[in-house]
Amino acid sequence: MAFDINFDWTGSISEVTLGATKAQGGTRSVSYTIGRDTTLPFLSPDSGTPSPLIAFEICDYPVYWSPLIRKYCGDLCDHVDQWATAAEKTYGADMVRLHLTSTKQRNFSDIASVGKTVESVLSATSLPLIIEGSNEPKIDSEVFQKCGESAQGERLLLGTAEASRYRSIAAAALAYNHSVIAQSPIDINLAKQLNILLKEIGVQRDHIVIDPYTGALGYGFEYSYSAMERIRFSALKGDTDLAMPMICSSADTLTIKEVREADEKGQDEMAIKWEFYTGFAAAVAGSEIICVRHPETIPMLKAAFASLRNGAKSAGVP
Amino acid sequence: MTDVSQAKKTGEDRLKATISSITHTFTYEETAYHLPISYALTGIPVHDQKAALDVFAKTGSNPLVASECILADRTATNGKDDAPFTGFISDTVIRKLGYSLVDGSILGLALIVGTPKSADRASAICRELQEKYMLTFLAGGVVPSLSGAGVKLGLDYRLIPLGSTPAYGIHFVDIIARVAMMFGGVTPGDIHRLLTYAAERAKAIVIVFPGLSDEEIALVDGMRVLGFPILSLDDYTGGEWIAEKPESVVRTGMDLKGIRVNVTAIPIPMGCSPAFEGKSIRKEEMYVEFGGGRSPAFELLRMQPVDAIEDGKVTVIGPEIDSMKEGSANPLAIIIDVAGKTMKKDYEPVLERRIHNFVNYGEGSWHVAQRDLIWVRISKEVVAKGIKIEHIGKLLASKFRMDFPQLLDAVAVTLITDPDKVLAAKKEAETVYEERDARIKGMRDADINTYYSCTLCQTFAPNHVCVITPERPALCGAISWLDGKIAFEMSPSGANQPIEKGSVINELTGEYEGVNRFVKKASHGEIERCALYSVMEYPMTCCGCFEAIALMLPEVNGIMVVNREFKGITPSGMTFSTLAGTIGGGAQTPGFAGISKYYILSDKFLQGEGGIERLVWMPAQLREELRPRLIKKLEEWGHPDLFDKIADESNAATIEDLIAYLESVHHPARSMKPLM
Repeated sequence: MAFDINFDWTGSISEVTLGATKAQGGTRSVSYTIGRDTTLPFLSPDSGTPSPLIAFEICDYPVYWSPLIRKYCGDLCDHVDQWATAAEKTYGADMVRLHLTSTKQRNFSDIASVGKTVESVLSATSLPLIIEGSNEPKIDSEVFQKCGESAQGERLLLGTAEASRYRSIAAAALAYNHSVIAQSPIDINLAKQLNILLKEIGVQRDHIVIDPYTGALGYGFEYSYSAMERIRFSALKGDTDLAMPMICSSADTLTIKEVREADEKGQDEMAIKWEFYTGFAAAVAGSEIICVRHPETIPMLKAAFASLRNGAKSAGVP
Repeated sequence: MTDVSQAKKTGEDRLKATISSITHTFTYEETAYHLPISYALTGIPVHDQKAALDVFAKTGSNPLVASECILADRTATNGKDDAPFTGFISDTVIRKLGYSLVDGSILGLALIVGTPKSADRASAICRELQEKYMLTFLAGGVVPSLSGAGVKLGLDYRLIPLGSTPAYGIHFVDIIARVAMMFGGVTPGDIHRLLTYAAERAKAIVIVFPGLSDEEIALVDGMRVLGFPILSLDDYTGGEWIAEKPESVVRTGMDLKGIRVNVTAIPIPMGCSPAFEGKSIRKEEMYVEFGGGRSPAFELLRMQPVDAIEDGKVTVIGPEIDSMKEGSANPLAIIIDVAGKTMKKDYEPVLERRIHNFVNYGEGSWHVAQRDLIWVRISKEVVAKGIKIEHIGKLLASKFRMDFPQLLDAVAVTLITDPDKVLAAKKEAETVYEERDARIKGMRDADINTYYSCTLCQTFAPNHVCVITPERPALCGAISWLDGKIAFEMSPSGANQPIEKGSVINELTGEYEGVNRFVKKASHGEIERCALYSVMEYPMTCCGCFEAIALMLPEVNGIMVVNREFKGITPSGMTFSTLAGTIGGGAQTPGFAGISKYYILSDKFLQGEGGIERLVWMPAQLREELRPRLIKKLEEWGHPDLFDKIADESNAATIEDLIAYLESVHHPARSMKPLM
């Protein structure tokens, strides 16, 4: 029986382009356009983007990074450019998400180094980049300016704007044509409010990706899931202020009790599984970019996404 | 003295003659916007005389276009000015400048042209501009004057010397034209959007010292079309320039463009952010409380003349928190005095409603309801950190200034905790509330095509939509139709939006096609239909803030009303709080409606159910509160004897009692069309 998978929804998710190839004025080997869904994810093999993108997260100052990942990735962690190359060539990620954790150091002021890091990562990988800028409001302005400028033309995704601090990121996005991650604390109304704030300052809809904030599975993920579901339903029902693609990072999964307390042999496996299931659930809820930190999570997610597509098709679900 | 309008005329003629004599071709390097002003206005890239004259003609002989072309031609002939002058500024630098503007690290732009009579004057003005986060461009004699006085120039000092003569001031305009195209989404050739952007978004002022040629006067005067105030010091009369004194010129200019230095941090010992808004403070966590029926409390925001208020002043009258007993209920008056050039008396109730949000922003302060129904709690946790009543005042004063920078110039807060003084002030507040209610009296829903929505409560009831009409205030009782209209004027993308009511679906129940469409959208598709005057069919959704609940009692074929203050069990078998828990959260519950108390006196109340004759029960206290007004209304409606037939808890505590009572008084509801 024919079944309308668009129900009576009229809205669609806006398109956001990430990364620019040479022809588009950048240096990336690929450019992704996410969004344009008119229904829930995985209902049809033909709808929306092919599969959620998987972004591998790296950082330029690994002191604050999960010891588990530091151990697994070894020396790479101390060479952010090589780590970025590995993300692309060895781990098979779709994107690289660079956290500028060096800016977290007390009284950090070496803004020029930020530009150098961004440039070195851009030349180490040809994948589109997500950059997480400073964590300190005092240096936001300089850090985001530098990130935006160093990667002009590359169509970065810049993070992370929050209701209380979004101006610097918005300014960098506007000045150098990048897109913005807009994060709200698991709350549909705050998500909408932030999008409106960004709109008022001049950031266009097709330059915004919503981060609804992802709790670890079993540690609040159900709230994230519910917020994401509502954001997506509102978008499909025509609320254009919420009709943006979503991004989720399951980074919290690496610090939960089950991972911390697992015996040394099983620790990696526990972390991978937890990261996998959280990321997978986020994808089902509609996230189009899933960020992971453990390299081994990547092939698992890829296989799972593929089976969801093919599974749906072969089972004859419309 | 130079007569501006005279000089401008001569200047314009000379500009016209000069632009016709351009001979060279010219190109600025490091820009994708050609001659930016000409390009933004017409979309035509100008590089020679032919194109220059074309654009000049197309823009009605605009002096800015002429000045831009002439300077470009001159630069091509004579080369750039030497350092420190920047001349034409590259796109890369403009991106950085635009970044700082969006980012908020620069609040606005200023241009200073001409030659000051003394270097001290110029340097004082520049210092003030620097202190107020303005980025200043300089052209003409002011530059050597400042360098001579030892003032450091350059981008790092936010003082940029454009060129040796005031004619270089044109670069100030080409910068703004490029910012509009890069950041404002203005497409080249879209004059209308460019002018709107310049007038509304570009926060720019121009300060003029003496010594301008006629052409330069024409150029500066041409900037008025962009909405920049032209402030002159010495030597100029006539025209539309604003004569100013050196000591006040910066303030006047910034005021005229609404550029304000913002407060960013609130100096109190607890967190303050919208993130805390949804929390609650339970009885066990609370240190003290105010109002909520346990002690007298109210809030009032009123407008005052600007000189009557000291901005930021917080006064506490009565005992501070450290002399209050833990767990006790205390009297409280929150009185906020505000002043502002654009503030209107009509805005008072709308701003007053924000007290609710702001108090809830505090990590350990909690607020519900409004007017003289407020209920405020402060947690043990923050009292241990040193929070005092005074800090709540500081929080309110800062938040009002931060959130309404355009509207309010000064905010002072008085908090009264002395019992007698609270009661005295409350009387005064009640008259104000009555005046506000009276203002909307006499307006009829039928005469008006635009209603207003309120979705303030969507923070905790995500699909709730209040539809506010002249005869049906918001269910919290705090926002009337007029308030909705004003709130929309003040913040066009806020929680109060206009609703075109559209064609009538059912006049009796108050169902309109336009209202339905709006409600469906604003409730994220959850609610399809909304009948404004009905309890039974498609009633409005309820958030949780309703002053009272109207609900159907099938046993007596009537409708009862219970208000928030009533603590007992109603004939429905439930208390107010149980009922509120059942119907709140943004749901539509046929048979139940959240209403304001004032709505009971509206002609529209219960219209869908056949009128006021349906009203069978309400708490004695509410009945007394409404007595004089309700009796008058009942007479108007032709039921002079109905008031005494409405039962209360004294004569009908249970549904059985109510059936018997209504029987004994021959209440008209019994013989009306069955509700179900």
